[in-house]
Amino acid sequence: MTAQTSTTDTTTTTTAQGARPAGAPASKNAESALPTHAKVPSRITGPRPTAGVPFARLTHVELRKMLDTRAGRWLLIGIGAIIAIALTIMFFNDGGQHAFVEYLQATTMPMALVLPVVGILAVTSEWSQRTGLVTFGLEPRRIRVAWAKTVAALLVGACAFALSLVLAALAHQSAITVRGVTGDWSVDALVLLGAGGYVLLGIAQGVGFGMLFKNTPAAVVVFFVLPTAWSILGSMVSWLRDAAVWLDLNQTMNPLFQGSLTGEQWAHLAASVTLWVLAPLAVGIWRLTRAEVK
Amino acid sequence: MITVERLTKRYGPFTAVDDVSFEVKPGLVTGFLGPNGAGKTTAMRVMAGLTPASSGRATVLGKPYAALPNPGRHVGLLLDASAQHAGRTGREVLTLGAILMGVGRGRVDEMVELVGLTEKEANRRVRNYSLGMRQRLGIAHALLGDPEVLILDEPANGLDPAGIRWMRDLLRGYADRGGTVLLSSHLLNEIERVADEIIVIGHGRIVAQGTKEELLAGAGTFTRSTDDDALAAALASESVVAQRPPTGGLQVEAEPIVVGRVAVAHQIVLTELRGADSRGLEEMFLDLTADSAREGVAA
Repeated sequence: MTAQTSTTDTTTTTTAQGARPAGAPASKNAESALPTHAKVPSRITGPRPTAGVPFARLTHVELRKMLDTRAGRWLLIGIGAIIAIALTIMFFNDGGQHAFVEYLQATTMPMALVLPVVGILAVTSEWSQRTGLVTFGLEPRRIRVAWAKTVAALLVGACAFALSLVLAALAHQSAITVRGVTGDWSVDALVLLGAGGYVLLGIAQGVGFGMLFKNTPAAVVVFFVLPTAWSILGSMVSWLRDAAVWLDLNQTMNPLFQGSLTGEQWAHLAASVTLWVLAPLAVGIWRLTRAEVK
Repeated sequence: MITVERLTKRYGPFTAVDDVSFEVKPGLVTGFLGPNGAGKTTAMRVMAGLTPASSGRATVLGKPYAALPNPGRHVGLLLDASAQHAGRTGREVLTLGAILMGVGRGRVDEMVELVGLTEKEANRRVRNYSLGMRQRLGIAHALLGDPEVLILDEPANGLDPAGIRWMRDLLRGYADRGGTVLLSSHLLNEIERVADEIIVIGHGRIVAQGTKEELLAGAGTFTRSTDDDALAAALASESVVAQRPPTGGLQVEAEPIVVGRVAVAHQIVLTELRGADSRGLEEMFLDLTADSAREGVAA
């Protein structure tokens, strides 16, 4: 749909540069003055929509919101920098003699560590920056916003994982070509699943924690401190150690990277994913739909 | 068209909005006037579906806000100009809105120009905006979807007198072509200059409601004469209440015609006779809101 050009009579005069209204202050730092006469905005032709905002459009906007702020951009630049450093070190360490899987680990680890913050910020910024007033004003069916954020975050995770595969492959190939090491491209499907799942589950967990806490510092601290606290306590308290077998996501994901899972280990994985990813998302979405937006 | 019916919002023991009913009609600019903390913002958030009502309801264009399809194309909201991501540029804020509402990107340029932001300003991050610029960005965002209804919370806050005049002209033109406008303010002279109808709210309750003329009529008469003492005595003898402001003249709690008749009957020459100006309305406003505040404390 296109905006129709103004049909109302306008008395606003503009200079050749376009937007600066007549009588605007000459100083470069001064803010522009309002036009001397208000112009009524033009009408948008065509009937007003009777259908809601399509989900794809909501997702598109949420995706864009993750990347169009300074914070979002710097997070991604930071991840890129860490990966570059890790790959450079590997390239020179041990004569660059590493398997593709090791390079893959070097590219996915930083992503799995930092991308959850993108997920957290996607939700908490609506409260801390108070943009929720606009977001939920434009889509009052908040559950759709919640899903759009989750899907957008997973898309970011998927793209990041694809990129980490490409980067790992490039690094490995250049080690083969430049340093003359023997290539080892063998990858187990479960290892790929584990690496991808690590990235995607992390970012989904971030979204869930964001919705649960609605507050950036709280969500970030809990997200990073809880697993460590769990490990420390788990080593001291025996029943916690037993529970960790089922509930510590780091432990339950380990067999994936080993390349083989027993039926019980799959159950462990499912239980921990339910506790750390699905439950926060479910409770978080429930909270989000009920919270008062201020 | 906005309809609010017996709307109440409680926070624990505190009642922010107390049994409020009113209608905002198309073609008019309606001002929502009240001191800070009177419940204006809460009532507006309930209208926009952002805060659930404790009881009663609010509908916009005949529906609860949440039932509006693509609400940005029906209702323009500006609930807090400062509620924008500080790290986004003004243009980006508008672009996000345009994508979501499904209006062309050309609409963004048009709105940027409409509110008088330069290209350079639009490309700056909101962090570096003055309050006035944020307000203009907020107004641009509210108008993006060519809505039928505008709900603006304190839109004139941070605008200079020229800006307030600009906004008055904009909203006037908008209402003249059939738009519905509700704007709030805690400043009487802003509302008085912009609004056709005024709803005065104090301590969560509506304390006065009507056209500007009706409310002004209730504000009494200002008069001067060649002999104010005699006029004051004459009015007192007819049991008409009058006060004598230190700046001279008489502030009379009656219609001008009553004062004129008393003057004729007592053969006093009037040099000035008119409905009380904004100062009268301001006194009424302060009076009303102070009263409701006292009631609130007593209750």
